[in-house]
Amino acid sequence: MTERIQNLLSLIRSGKHHIYRHKISYRPVEELARCNMPDEERSAERLREVLEAQEPIILPGQRILFLRTAENLPDIFTETEWEKIYKSNFIHEHSRVCNICPNYEKTIRRGLLAEKERCAQAKNGASPSEIRWLNCVEKSIDAILNFAERYRQKALELGMAEEAAILKRVPAYGASTFREALQFFRILHFTLWCEGEYQNTLGRFDQYMFPYLEKDLAAGRLNEEEAFELLEEFFLTFNLDNDLYPGIQQGDNGQSLMLGGVIPGSGGKDGFNLLSDMCLQASGELLVIDPKINLRVSSRTPLSVYEKGTRLTKAGLGFPQYSNDDVVIEGLVKKGYRREDAENYTVAACWEFIIPEYGMEIPNIGAVNFPELINRTISEHLEESRSYEEFYHFFTEALNHNCAEINDNIQSIYMVPAPFMSLLMADCIENRRDISFGNRYNNFGYHGVGISSAVDSLAVVKKCIFTEKSLTKQQALSIVRGDADSALLARLRYEEPKFGDGDAWVNDIAVTLCHDFAKATENLRNIRGGCVRAGTGSAMFYLWYAEHVGSMLSGHCKGEAFSANYAPELFVRNKGPLSVISSLTAPDFTEVANGGPLTMEFHSSVFRDEDGTEKVARLVYQFIRHGGLQLQLNSVNRKTLLEAQRDPDSYRNLIVRIWGWSAYFVELDREFQDHVIARQEFQV
Amino acid sequence: MEKGIIFDIKEFTVHDGDGIRTTVFLKGCPLRCLWCHNPEGLRTERQLMITRNGCLSCGKCLLPCSHPECQGLGRCLHACPRGLVKAVGEEVDATELASRLAEQAEFFESGVTVSGGEPTMQPAFLLELLDGLGSVDTAIETCGYTAPDIFRRAAEKVQMLYLDIKHMDSAVHQKLTGVPNEPIQRNLEMLMRGNIPYTVRVPLIPGLNDNAENLSRLAEKLSGSRLPPKVEFLPYNPFTEAKYQMAQMPFSLSHIDGNQYHPVIPEEPYRRYGVCWRIL
Repeated sequence: MTERIQNLLSLIRSGKHHIYRHKISYRPVEELARCNMPDEERSAERLREVLEAQEPIILPGQRILFLRTAENLPDIFTETEWEKIYKSNFIHEHSRVCNICPNYEKTIRRGLLAEKERCAQAKNGASPSEIRWLNCVEKSIDAILNFAERYRQKALELGMAEEAAILKRVPAYGASTFREALQFFRILHFTLWCEGEYQNTLGRFDQYMFPYLEKDLAAGRLNEEEAFELLEEFFLTFNLDNDLYPGIQQGDNGQSLMLGGVIPGSGGKDGFNLLSDMCLQASGELLVIDPKINLRVSSRTPLSVYEKGTRLTKAGLGFPQYSNDDVVIEGLVKKGYRREDAENYTVAACWEFIIPEYGMEIPNIGAVNFPELINRTISEHLEESRSYEEFYHFFTEALNHNCAEINDNIQSIYMVPAPFMSLLMADCIENRRDISFGNRYNNFGYHGVGISSAVDSLAVVKKCIFTEKSLTKQQALSIVRGDADSALLARLRYEEPKFGDGDAWVNDIAVTLCHDFAKATENLRNIRGGCVRAGTGSAMFYLWYAEHVGSMLSGHCKGEAFSANYAPELFVRNKGPLSVISSLTAPDFTEVANGGPLTMEFHSSVFRDEDGTEKVARLVYQFIRHGGLQLQLNSVNRKTLLEAQRDPDSYRNLIVRIWGWSAYFVELDREFQDHVIARQEFQV
Repeated sequence: MEKGIIFDIKEFTVHDGDGIRTTVFLKGCPLRCLWCHNPEGLRTERQLMITRNGCLSCGKCLLPCSHPECQGLGRCLHACPRGLVKAVGEEVDATELASRLAEQAEFFESGVTVSGGEPTMQPAFLLELLDGLGSVDTAIETCGYTAPDIFRRAAEKVQMLYLDIKHMDSAVHQKLTGVPNEPIQRNLEMLMRGNIPYTVRVPLIPGLNDNAENLSRLAEKLSGSRLPPKVEFLPYNPFTEAKYQMAQMPFSLSHIDGNQYHPVIPEEPYRRYGVCWRIL
């Protein structure tokens, strides 16, 4: 790391740049309401106001500019207006466009003046309302150009001729060098946050940015060291303002970057390149939480790529998260995606698969609470069930009903228009339609929460109640009601088979459950005509749902957290990582491909030498070879985590993986910290 | 259909051979090394392992029970609300175990290492287990204190043999491990004359066997090896004592602080005798 990057990193970690931030008093939202300003105009007007309120600040040593100084964003609607919107619509999270992946590169290549021209052309034959919307896009472009010009002036004032010259070209004109492209990207991404979108993902950065780098290297304009320094600074830009971005916890901001994977239409050729490698190295050297590194691999990816990924795992950030091209692409094609689009997949904020520029998917719109469904089925139908099959049939009925119910509750969805985001999404300008209304893919995704707890409970129903008859129905009911004696619960908890132990018959329960989850969503069509995708992720529901589910036949105690995403229960100590992998790869993930990784923690000593790194790389490869969907590996040290809880000041930079993102451990709420500490840690 | 006693099967052992590996630990050992970090592997009988951390001291495990598997242990294995009371020492059939391990090895393209305790303490079981593993990449980790014939037959069945050498001086060896080292040295010499790939492993115990003279004597000895000799040093495991508490066994090296231990290897003799070494 160069001294300049080291200094910038220290400055960002210290938070000293926050002194430039101000709370802004924007024009009262009532004024917009009084003149009945249409929604899209409000978005454009508010973006203009935000950019105007920004002060051009250049930090010492910065070469890639743009820093957020306006701390807050203005309201779009008054409270009364919101009430009205809420009454007649389903609102997802913050009502903003989020969790999608724009095509930054097209705009970076064309430049904003050309994009404005594209808008002007789209007005030919457009209706008045369409023209009004296109005007909003143009207004957003003008606001950015004005703001960039103010930055250029500032650079000139400070004698930064090179930076000023770059800002003379971008964003008005297309980028011609790697550095210009990175600066342009920063401007676009910065603007998305200012418009109010969130979980703004980065997509397949190494694929679309590599041509710029390659050209510069070939022309001798840059050498690899200089390019690496620029890349590291670029990565740091994602950490300048990330404490201002909305999320469940700080760090949950969706700045996900995807590396490697099949090149669309290439017949399966892998796209891992020099820039992919540099990104892995930069992330491992900077040790900051953004951008979040994802790596696409397949059974054909060479072991050397897995080893490079593992070296980053060793750094302890919980990166990279692996996605399996063999499974994801087929899974998406099964759900109706065009193959070339499926091949170009990336991840949303955490791990849900989305399609850059064409997808307006909402992959986290609902979550199936599997533990609750199991317990409800036990309460309502166990007594009348004469066999496991009958019991399981009642469970699938409940599952089908639950999936349909989630879909039924989304009758009309409203999102605040996002004219600027629309500029970066395919076909919006040509179709003169805001991205908030949808795009080529409008599919919704359901998380599957507590799958292991459900599988373990079903295993007890099958083995103990119906096969061995070692547990009576009355005892089972007493557990679910919460009045069972603790010895019985302990027996089920510690002595009965668990998912993750490699037992074929328990794995079969998981296979069937995942298949039936897929079937339960198969025929559902959402309000936008899209399909529903079942998945194995949990997001924050592993904690939220835990509060409302009673004790379970798995031995899970009331109130106890479920495992995050797709992993064995927290209290289970499985036979080892091989058994976990052989069990958890058993389901057919092409059917449940919404996303949701297996998360495994390895003690940091596993990575102590190259042997360990090579072996972990082989293990990841085996996971992929056997059809695993997604994998997060963490290098953790429980002792360090406990010390960090006791003495947070000494561990400000300690990073851990949460459910689909990484965060500074000491900045998490205690319940999230405790969950990380409680996870099963595999040692040497 | 040989039966044997094992006390653990550990998946993904990083330092027990090439590639992904699973290690089977056979119960029972003829040595009583003061530092042994698997005290539950010393005796062949089934025994209790109680995790103290998290114990509620509720006393439920002390109440009499009628479970056949708990008889003779003095505790009930099923009463602990935290699942902290366990018995180690499972009788398994060699062929059945081999088939289970082979299945996993095929799945993961991985290998199997047999360790202990001392694997050669159950020779018939060990040989049948290795035979049952067929084409799977196998290794054994042994203290070498066994009859030459058993040692040779086991060694011929594996792709790698790890031989622990605790001390080069037999009298000191006797003091530290309870047995003299001549049988071990004889088996080492057999390896040195042969073609079976092997690695010598030396636990480094501060003040007991890590002196330059002892380590140099090993290098000198290995200089006569037909295959290029390799030594792996295993620095004292600072967490050893915890397992003695779990097994309710006395531990005599409590005074050693392994956390601050930085072993020094006499590099010159290793270079001179062409012995490769590394610290794990």
